Amino acid sequence: MAVQVDGGSSDGGDPDELKTQFYTREGTYRLMTLSEYSRPNRVGYTNTQGNPSVRVSFVNLPDPSGNGDRICFNFGRELYVYVYKGVRKAADLTKPVDKKMYKGTNPTCHDFNSVTMTADTVSLLVGFSTGQIQLIDPIKKELSKLYNEERLIDKTKVTCIKWVPGSTNLFLASHSSGQLYVYNEELPCGTTAPHYQPFKQGDGYAIHTCKTKSTRNPLYRWVLGNEGCCINELAFSPCGSYLAVVSQDGFLRVFHYDTMELVGVARSYFGGFLCVCWSPDGRYVVVGGEDDLVTVWSFHERRVVARGQGHRSWVSVVAFDPFTSSCGSVKLNGSSGSNSKVDFSDSDSESSFEHKRTSSNSDMTCYRLGSVGQDTQLCLWDITEDVLRQPMCPRTRTTSTAGLGSLSGSKTLNGNGAPSASSVGSTTGSIVENVKCNNVVTNSVGSKDKGADHSSSNSHHSGSTLSQKLSVFGFGDRKEGHKRNFSLGPKSSSSSDKSHNSSTVKSTNSAADDPMRLIGTSTCPRFDECPLLEPLICKKIAHERLTALVFREDCFVTACQDGYVYTWARPGKLSGGGAGVSNLPSSPGHVSLGTSTPIRVSSGNGDGAGISPGAPTRNSPDLPESTGNTPTSIV
Amino acid sequence: MHFFFHLFQGANVSQLERDIGADQFPPNEHFFGLVNFGNTCYSNSVLQALYFCKPFREKILEYKARNKRTKETLLTCLADLFYSIATQKKKVGSIAPKKFIARLRKEKVEFDNYMQQDAHEFLNFLINHINEIILAERPQNGNSRHKPGSGDSVSSQSEPTWVHEIFQGILTSETRCLNCEAVSCKDEDFFDLQVDIDQNTSITHCLKCFSSTETLCGDNKFKCDNCVSYQEAQKRMRVKRLPLILALHLKRFKYMEQYNRHIKVSHRVVFPLELRLFNTSDDAVNPDRLYDLVAVVIHCGSGPNRGHYISIVKSHGFWLLFDDDMVDKIDASAIEDFYGLTSDIQKSSETGYILFYQSRDVPP
Repeated sequence: MAVQVDGGSSDGGDPDELKTQFYTREGTYRLMTLSEYSRPNRVGYTNTQGNPSVRVSFVNLPDPSGNGDRICFNFGRELYVYVYKGVRKAADLTKPVDKKMYKGTNPTCHDFNSVTMTADTVSLLVGFSTGQIQLIDPIKKELSKLYNEERLIDKTKVTCIKWVPGSTNLFLASHSSGQLYVYNEELPCGTTAPHYQPFKQGDGYAIHTCKTKSTRNPLYRWVLGNEGCCINELAFSPCGSYLAVVSQDGFLRVFHYDTMELVGVARSYFGGFLCVCWSPDGRYVVVGGEDDLVTVWSFHERRVVARGQGHRSWVSVVAFDPFTSSCGSVKLNGSSGSNSKVDFSDSDSESSFEHKRTSSNSDMTCYRLGSVGQDTQLCLWDITEDVLRQPMCPRTRTTSTAGLGSLSGSKTLNGNGAPSASSVGSTTGSIVENVKCNNVVTNSVGSKDKGADHSSSNSHHSGSTLSQKLSVFGFGDRKEGHKRNFSLGPKSSSSSDKSHNSSTVKSTNSAADDPMRLIGTSTCPRFDECPLLEPLICKKIAHERLTALVFREDCFVTACQDGYVYTWARPGKLSGGGAGVSNLPSSPGHVSLGTSTPIRVSSGNGDGAGISPGAPTRNSPDLPESTGNTPTSIV
Repeated sequence: MHFFFHLFQGANVSQLERDIGADQFPPNEHFFGLVNFGNTCYSNSVLQALYFCKPFREKILEYKARNKRTKETLLTCLADLFYSIATQKKKVGSIAPKKFIARLRKEKVEFDNYMQQDAHEFLNFLINHINEIILAERPQNGNSRHKPGSGDSVSSQSEPTWVHEIFQGILTSETRCLNCEAVSCKDEDFFDLQVDIDQNTSITHCLKCFSSTETLCGDNKFKCDNCVSYQEAQKRMRVKRLPLILALHLKRFKYMEQYNRHIKVSHRVVFPLELRLFNTSDDAVNPDRLYDLVAVVIHCGSGPNRGHYISIVKSHGFWLLFDDDMVDKIDASAIEDFYGLTSDIQKSSETGYILFYQSRDVPP
């Protein structure tokens, strides 16, 4: 049974306190202070506000020794590749695999090619703030190619770069200009600006090809949304067939990549969508954005099925945890991203899910989602399928939380879950599942109940959203009276179900860039028309905004705007002495917000922190360039 | 005092036209800086923001067209100033709001000096004062007598003015007695929302906190009509009617007892270009209203009585920065420079102070 122990309650529950460990139902996650990656020559406080977000890419090389993990991250003008030693061994910052410093431009994003890699070669794409793209081999260091070097293709920042899944030479680069280009790394970019001709057009997007005799880069140009509307991130589905793209215009657009057909859209509640990811089975796309929400979109139903409220600011990264997600008894541990190749040491079968609903209502699926944001918080979410199967209906959120203070959780959710389950036509609303889901909600309410009834403080760290607070305070009865006007019997909900389908079609057909028309449709339900998720945990884990989140088999990795990449060991993954655990500061030593100087959690690894410039490293930290062929355009 | 933005000084007016591009320059639009008469940037920044709140500008110009010869008020001075900007032959330049400032100093003794003033206090005064002038100028009839400054109940019974129609929203405060469980509601009007801020949050979050439930207990108990006694109670304030233009005042000046003065809170608070409200009441009239950010008054510097005010406004799809008499086109991505600071080390900051969001269902 899912039991959540709130880590906050044991150490006073100050939401502004930095966490170095926290508990979930599966156990304790611990920050591994020795597995902290950053630039080797650590310096004091520098203003990093204007820097591009620190992104993290992983690759697992087929290294016979078994130490094939490499990590790449960017910070300011610099780019680092290290051997990633995971939770068991301390990071060695003195010997980066590769280190680059650029003039007049900043690296913004990167991606390893896991198809062409060998034990001692790997292709790494790097995008830059001034629009150029570089292809390097951080191991061999022989390879270096530049794309868009003269900025003839696009002058704006590369916002996301990804190898096409399974391809040895094709990659995608999105720009803040709102354009997305398909490159072949083997082709030249030409000496003149490309002339385009229309290739395909659809609602809210157009695709062009280059009008030239000989094939050149870019192979295709995708223009999404209105002109100049920044593309923030793109993600291929686990099967590689679909491409999800999120933009500053607040749209998620999902394409069938090969046919270039738009298959679905979602609109933010307001503001831009900033990040996107696919569930490991490809059935859901999750996006986060400037509405402080995570939004769950169903690929099969082509509609927004749930929203999650827990962040106190914009959501910068969303990622599924395939190792904690489960489909019935099967773990969903297929690698979720193209660059997060993990070797599976446990014998669980790697289930590959197609874009087909194999058995619609067979097993209870529970997804584990993680998100980090500009609020410096990490949120973990458990999303059960019974919630996602609820049809769009008004006032769901009040029922799911109203009166929880007095009623037992299971009772409440049964009352809520039953009609919705029947309206979908599923017969699976089994009590066991409901109870399972309930515990998550109830426990977070319970901890709130005990803790801070009388605190007038508005900052809370664990699942205390507005609706929840209100339910505790019993405003619920009034709302329920209101709700009755809208209560859905099976009949009315099936009719509303129908309207979803029609509105989906309508919105995709009419481009519907007008959010005023989209509100209340399945593309952008009203706030109380779709289930509201609450985070399992919500922890402040950094001083600066968080910019990366990657789930791995034995840990998860976060990165922060100040250039630090942290490793958090999963419960029970600390065999062999548990490096760093004993060094963890006890509660009084926790870093608190009030301090005026940024305090790093001490690594206890003196030699790592104080590398001397003269150390015989392969790439001396003070070298301005490690290669002579870096993009050096000055804006 | 204007140290930071001196770097814009190199840009002259024709540079702005070049930045925008002759073919891109919106027809019938004028971008005019306002000359500073010694610490009048609090007024300049707010006036620019209001000028680019289109519904407000239109009403002011309408007023100017209707009222040919009346006695000078702050409203006529503002109307003359707006009219003067709107009818300039040149597209860009600067203008001296001399008459307006002189009148302002006569109207309110607090502004009659060369000290730095609080831009929000000025906005608050200006909106209320204009509203009172309009009420006072209404044709008198038997049972309504309005004088400027007489905020009695009579004025609330009268028809709403266009100032109400643009800026006024309704907050409903719901109080639930913990003894008898009865919920009582009370509505109150507002012209802007004054919002407490937290470090590394969004304006969305700050608004949620604005409407979070507080417990009335101890010395602050609630007088329950039902129980006929003081009781502990739970209270929250939510928005019942959303205004056309939502003005959000970020409370960045906090009184610190240990220093015996107000200090500036430079917390990083992000504000999206598009906004909906989460903190609407169940019976809200228009809870789905979608807002666009149209103007931001920015405080630059380290404290309430030192520093500088500038404003950024959106006009015809692009963003402009008004720094007294200087006007520059800026990239929308530069707005993030005004969110605030994540660390408390730096003393000085350029931070969003008053946000103006305009409802999208207003005809542009």
